[in-house]
Amino acid sequence: MSRGRLFGKNVLEGVFRAAPDEDLFLGELLVAVDEATGRRYLFRIVDVTYGTEHREPGWAERVAGTLLVDDARGEAGTHRLYDQSRRTYRVATCRCLGYLTPDGTDFRRPKSLPTQFSKVVAPEPADFAFLRTRMGDLPVGTLRSGEAEVDFEVGIAGRSLASHVGIFATTGMGKSNLMMVLAGGVLRAAGRYGLLLIDPHGEYRTQLARHPWAGERLRTYAARPLANTSSLRVGLSELTIDDLRTAYDWTRPQEEALYELERKFGGDGLSWLVAFAQIEDLAGLRDVELNGRVAMNTLQVLHRRARRIVELPCIAADAHVSVGAAVLRDLREGRVVLVDVSGLGSTEELLVASFLTRKVLEEWSNAYLEEPEAHERLPVVAIVLEEAQRVLSASKDRDSNVFPRVAREGRKFKVGLCAVTQQPKLLDGELLSQFNTFFILGLADEKDRTILRSSSKQDIAALGPEIQTLMPGECLLANLDAPFAVPAKIHLWADAVRDCPAPPAPRPAVAANVSVMVD
Amino acid sequence: MAFTALLSSSPTLETAARRLAALLTGGAGGLADPGHGHLRFDAEIRLRPLVRAAMPPAEVWAVDGGQAVVADARCLQLVVARAARVCFRNGACETEDEGDLRAFLLGGGEDRVVAGALGLGIAEDATVDLGLLRDHEEWMVVDRCVAEAAPGAMVLVDGDLEPDWRVPPSWLTGLLDRAAAKGVIVAAVTKRSSLSRGGAPLLGALEIEAGAELGPRALWWAPVARSRAGARVVAARLDADAPFAFRIDLSPGADPEAALSALACLCDDAGFPGYPYPLTVADRLAACPGWLRQDTWYELEELLDRAGVPAEVRERAFADRHDLMERF
Repeated sequence: MSRGRLFGKNVLEGVFRAAPDEDLFLGELLVAVDEATGRRYLFRIVDVTYGTEHREPGWAERVAGTLLVDDARGEAGTHRLYDQSRRTYRVATCRCLGYLTPDGTDFRRPKSLPTQFSKVVAPEPADFAFLRTRMGDLPVGTLRSGEAEVDFEVGIAGRSLASHVGIFATTGMGKSNLMMVLAGGVLRAAGRYGLLLIDPHGEYRTQLARHPWAGERLRTYAARPLANTSSLRVGLSELTIDDLRTAYDWTRPQEEALYELERKFGGDGLSWLVAFAQIEDLAGLRDVELNGRVAMNTLQVLHRRARRIVELPCIAADAHVSVGAAVLRDLREGRVVLVDVSGLGSTEELLVASFLTRKVLEEWSNAYLEEPEAHERLPVVAIVLEEAQRVLSASKDRDSNVFPRVAREGRKFKVGLCAVTQQPKLLDGELLSQFNTFFILGLADEKDRTILRSSSKQDIAALGPEIQTLMPGECLLANLDAPFAVPAKIHLWADAVRDCPAPPAPRPAVAANVSVMVD
Repeated sequence: MAFTALLSSSPTLETAARRLAALLTGGAGGLADPGHGHLRFDAEIRLRPLVRAAMPPAEVWAVDGGQAVVADARCLQLVVARAARVCFRNGACETEDEGDLRAFLLGGGEDRVVAGALGLGIAEDATVDLGLLRDHEEWMVVDRCVAEAAPGAMVLVDGDLEPDWRVPPSWLTGLLDRAAAKGVIVAAVTKRSSLSRGGAPLLGALEIEAGAELGPRALWWAPVARSRAGARVVAARLDADAPFAFRIDLSPGADPEAALSALACLCDDAGFPGYPYPLTVADRLAACPGWLRQDTWYELEELLDRAGVPAEVRERAFADRHDLMERF
């Protein structure tokens, strides 16, 4: 059935006229059928306005005024609009996403105009067939056309986790749900990918545990004693000053004092913090051991922080109880590693995240450099970081901060970031440009949309109104695989869990053939 | 002294405004229609309230004409004219006919040929211009509508029931007689009337008087004159929210109040309150917009080309030299 007729604009844009009661939605996908060439042009509605055949400016306002006055008098219906369906109409402005070749096998970027007045129709399932190979092996939802869901699975390729994923949305738009669905995909990928998920609010633990594959592929570490979790312990000797610099804000003198103390106390990593934290005579330390090179108030700040860090329940002086090695092993085996840091402060959460991220980057980069074949076998791993603007903003010191390093260098080592934030405008633009996959959920702030527009791998310049009007769970997926920003409706986690088949039963162990051992 | 007198009588804006103010606020004086000299005015104009009928006429036709100059060589002009008609039955539009676009060559002794081919009793030696051609097309279609209309129908015309002076009055009388014989009312609605009272626009003054006398939302009508063909000329406001009243000419034999009451039923469009909606449709259909002129010009060029007229000759014949100068 015809939804309209195309009448204008250019190669990249189209405008079509539709009946005044045609229900057109922002983001709706439609097809202009070019009978002359046999091509089917895929369009996305980016705006809908009113149109009228009346030449006189102000006609529509006058009609509205007349009807309004009737309403005000309680005489609605006194005036009518004869032939409304002919005198008024709707005009939809669209972005041309590309066209399907007449044989329906190839989708090409728009480089030509469809024949003027081509019929605009609703798309058929075959119109999206070209997308099927581009939707990867980590399904996240279904294709969305305006507000309607299309029976077509949308997702990303697991390998694209290495080239970083950004999840952007204001509160309540479905970031956590999307993150869980993505984690569910990794669980189900049976070891092809690893995911390190730092959970500051403890919101994922019980939910992810419900996934049918959780028993096999989910490992949970928690800073608090929680059921079915391993204890999150980080050895001081494995932490570095860079971790401290990433997690805490330091002044220049404080940073210099850190290195001064490290030289003075020595030992592995930050193990010297234990001894430093126990010192009571700071004045003596300053005057005698440090020769007065550190200001007293600087030393006092460092001392307070050292005491706090040492006393953290997740910090261990004993390197043997550190979870670093276990987390790396889990990730090497392609598991989802959930690190529940609820109960820790934001800075301590970053300390843990920085430590684990650094460990992963070191492990994967070492393998890449030293054991290329072993590196080949390593799964792509992504590190999920909530409130990513804390470590990926332009103001953060990039030398010591491991996260910008992962953003810039991680891809070749198969280590990616999955940055979740409500405020992409706070992210460093250059770092954001390293992210090849964007999940854009509802964003009300124009500045947030502007920075995404400049960094997205697909043109989303005209999609501002659509992004503004996205409902919870609706998103735009922009990456290099799809030829345009794909509108999607993210699966509800509960539905994803319900619909996910259980993992295949393990193969029965073969009984040992004793006879072959006996000569 | 002579120079001072000349200055005082020079046409300044102040003197014109003073005179205009006197005319607009004079409030009394004789009725006139400067455009046409054939109306017999009523001795007194009395405003009467009007009640909208429950139903519009079961069948309503509306006719309007359009015209355009396609090629203008000043001494020679190629013009087009057409008349569109629509038919509303029981409130719904059933027929839309934009009319055939008819082309005429004027000037250079061609007028005689054109006039000879026209109908309506127009003399073969009549001077022909675009106004006459448009009127001719319109009245021809009105004639068709009257012939096809069912008894009790109404035929609406854009303008008045006084055709161009070159159309013999007898032709219109004959048409109106045929309409009356069938029980068809012909009603002509003039959007911009030249009726005056004491030299001031009559309709504007009546609108103000009616607002004060009958209330700002009243529907009203007032008999004003009779035309040479016997049509009743009235002023009427046909919707409570109509911004303006119009001059309406009703064919002889029609009961003005009943006809206006029924007509008011078609004047409730929210876009044009107070104006019969079918006439707006006919107006849209008949219009000859720029693209149509352009299209016709391309067609003409092709025909001239086929007839062996060189492009340069065409160009120089019809170039707008005024426009040409504006380029520099």
